[in-house]
Amino acid sequence: MNVWRIAMKELMTSRDPAMLIFMLATPVLLILILGSVLSGNFNGKEAVGTVRVLYSASGDEAAKEHWESWIGRSIDETGGLEGTERGDREIIVKGIAFDEAKMGEQAAIDEVKNGGYIGYATIGDEGIRYYGNDRIGAENAIVQGLLSAYADHRKLSLVLPEAAGAAEGAASSGEHFETRMLQAPPKPNAIDYYSVAVTTMIIMYISMTAGLLIENERVRHTANRLLVAPVTKAEIFAGKITGSLLLHLFFVILIVLLSKYMYGADWGDNPVMVLLVLASQIVFAISLGLGSSYMLGSKASGAVIMTIIQLAALFGGSYFQNVDNGDFFSKLTRLSPLDWTNDGLLSVIYGGVESPIGGMSAEYAAILLNMGFSVLFLAAAIGIMRRKEGL
Amino acid sequence: MNVLQLEGLTKSFGDFTAVDGLSLSIREGEIFGLLGPNGAGKSTAIHMIAGLIPASKGEIRLLDRNIARNGRFAKSNIGFVPQEIAIYEDMTAYENVHFFAGLYGLRGAELKSRTEEALAFAGLDDKHKSFPRNFSGGMKRRLNIACAIAHRPKLIMMDEPTVGIDPQSRSYILNSVRKLNEMGCTIIYTSHYMEEVEELCTRIAIMDHGKMIAEGTKAQLKSIITDRKTLMIELKSAERLNEEKLRGIAGVRAVALDVEGSAVRVESDAEVNNLNRVLQCIMESGMEIRSVDERQPSLETVFLTLTGRSLRDD
Ligand SMILES: Nc1ncnc2c1ncn2[C@@H]1O[C@H](COP(=O)(O)OP(=O)(O)OP(=O)(O)O)[C@@H](O)[C@H]1O
Ligand SMILES: [Mg+2]
Repeated sequence: MNVWRIAMKELMTSRDPAMLIFMLATPVLLILILGSVLSGNFNGKEAVGTVRVLYSASGDEAAKEHWESWIGRSIDETGGLEGTERGDREIIVKGIAFDEAKMGEQAAIDEVKNGGYIGYATIGDEGIRYYGNDRIGAENAIVQGLLSAYADHRKLSLVLPEAAGAAEGAASSGEHFETRMLQAPPKPNAIDYYSVAVTTMIIMYISMTAGLLIENERVRHTANRLLVAPVTKAEIFAGKITGSLLLHLFFVILIVLLSKYMYGADWGDNPVMVLLVLASQIVFAISLGLGSSYMLGSKASGAVIMTIIQLAALFGGSYFQNVDNGDFFSKLTRLSPLDWTNDGLLSVIYGGVESPIGGMSAEYAAILLNMGFSVLFLAAAIGIMRRKEGL
Repeated sequence: MNVLQLEGLTKSFGDFTAVDGLSLSIREGEIFGLLGPNGAGKSTAIHMIAGLIPASKGEIRLLDRNIARNGRFAKSNIGFVPQEIAIYEDMTAYENVHFFAGLYGLRGAELKSRTEEALAFAGLDDKHKSFPRNFSGGMKRRLNIACAIAHRPKLIMMDEPTVGIDPQSRSYILNSVRKLNEMGCTIIYTSHYMEEVEELCTRIAIMDHGKMIAEGTKAQLKSIITDRKTLMIELKSAERLNEEKLRGIAGVRAVALDVEGSAVRVESDAEVNNLNRVLQCIMESGMEIRSVDERQPSLETVFLTLTGRSLRDD
């Protein structure tokens, strides 16, 4: 009850309209700016540049050679085969590269699902089978046109694909060109990505003010007034944290809603999970701020927190999306609290994100990491506070 | 019945002893004055009683219970008016009192009526919805008091509640202290304004350097110094006053400037007749004397006698 009172008091002392506008305007503008300036770095919903198609040709050598000569030049050892401009029907396709699949059928299909290739074609005696990534419509249509031309050329009977997304196992009796659209995991575009990344970055900044949560009571001399009342230090602490959490959760929900409805950012269809991950990060930021202000003193802690936030933002994908290519830099990014939270959110919204903790999806890993570190920071703060006089 | 009993109360900060073996009893219905210069240890003593800081040594009993073992009970029965104004400037006057009173377990209609009562008591009836950031110093002081009394504590401790305010607010506060007392509250009032303590308190303890150097009613304290007399000399301006020279006159024990700085108080041995020499010394410095008054010994005299220093150095 006292915890709740103190939490409500915390909200009442934070109803400054100027601060409200600042806290909303900053992230909303930042999402727009980063989302439009850096949109070129994203090949989510609109593919750009060369698209790559995997193929495997089986059956007799002659058939395979026929196909390969038809699509272009001969295959060199590395397996790359760039472009095709020839064909009986003068099909000219630019910006599409065919690579021979050497990884086996299932792995090739997975490649397509993960967006590494837009499609996978098998050319055999029984006909041509094509697996396309259903999110890349325009290029797939071109590839399908190309393949159907080749089927014509081979005088194989051909049935054009039914509507995009035709289910697996579509009727194929006597038909020799079959298309299956694969459900690829969706990828964020720039606005989608920065809506997540800027929101989580803004949450990190909460730790700056959290370090001052208790300091503010000292400065106003109200710390003593709280302590002479029949409430425990733990209740004061819990109340302040709860109030701060509610306040910031409110702002974060507003930011999410604004980015969703103003910019059409994709926040997925599991709002509860998104909220839980964001709430756990708010708790993390508050605990980090409080913990370090007790461990380092509020002055030194301000500078340290600022540095942590800057590094976390840089390495955690707030400005540039992290690409995990196994090098030192991408290992470093795993240390950023923003990285695991961003991954957690991208995992809820889009799926297919590798989790930092094995046997657990990335969103649960984010919540677990955020709450785990919070417990550590808060335990340190409470331990120090109990031993000192005053708050 | 003793509301409060201190036995050998001591507080050390490292090597420094801020409160040194304080022992006293305060009975129900008293207005107890704690008088002492800056740094005497008044606030430190009060903070220990309020449970803000632990005592290094000694015992505090509130309503016959040791507060170290009955912290919650003690806190519920104490109202503490801190020396520094401790309110939330971005909450209304009403919200401030309501919040703090709520921490004492008041709920619903009772909380509301007690909040209104405390605000009315502090003369802030018409300021319920106002934010204290727009208040005068006196109004903030009064709100500071309202926040400490809404839960109707048995013992109210006020730590210099009249520092830096206008005379009107000051007399309002002094009156409300009396009213609280009439309503049954026992009060501890610290100050280094002697006049206030002299006017208000039924019993007084004088502290210096953490120690209690005298304790009793006004009459008892003044009887310590029957061998003294006090000259109050009002000057047009005391700028050229040479205190050292005055102290050198035979029989003079202490010299102090009054608050306004235009009157000088000279304490002398009762049996030495030095009036002429004192006045001559002042006139020789070219100062104009407005009036001369021989006074009964005051608490200031008591303090000067006991410590050789003035209560205030500001
Ligand atoms: N936390 C502390 N650490 C070290 N010294 C302290 C602490 N609190 C108070 N003191 C010292 O103890 C002494 C008594 O301080 P206290 O505030 O009790 O005096 P006071 O009588 O209330 O004076 P004032 O009239 O100025 O309010 C002072 O010398 C002060 O510097
Ligand atoms: Mg004091």
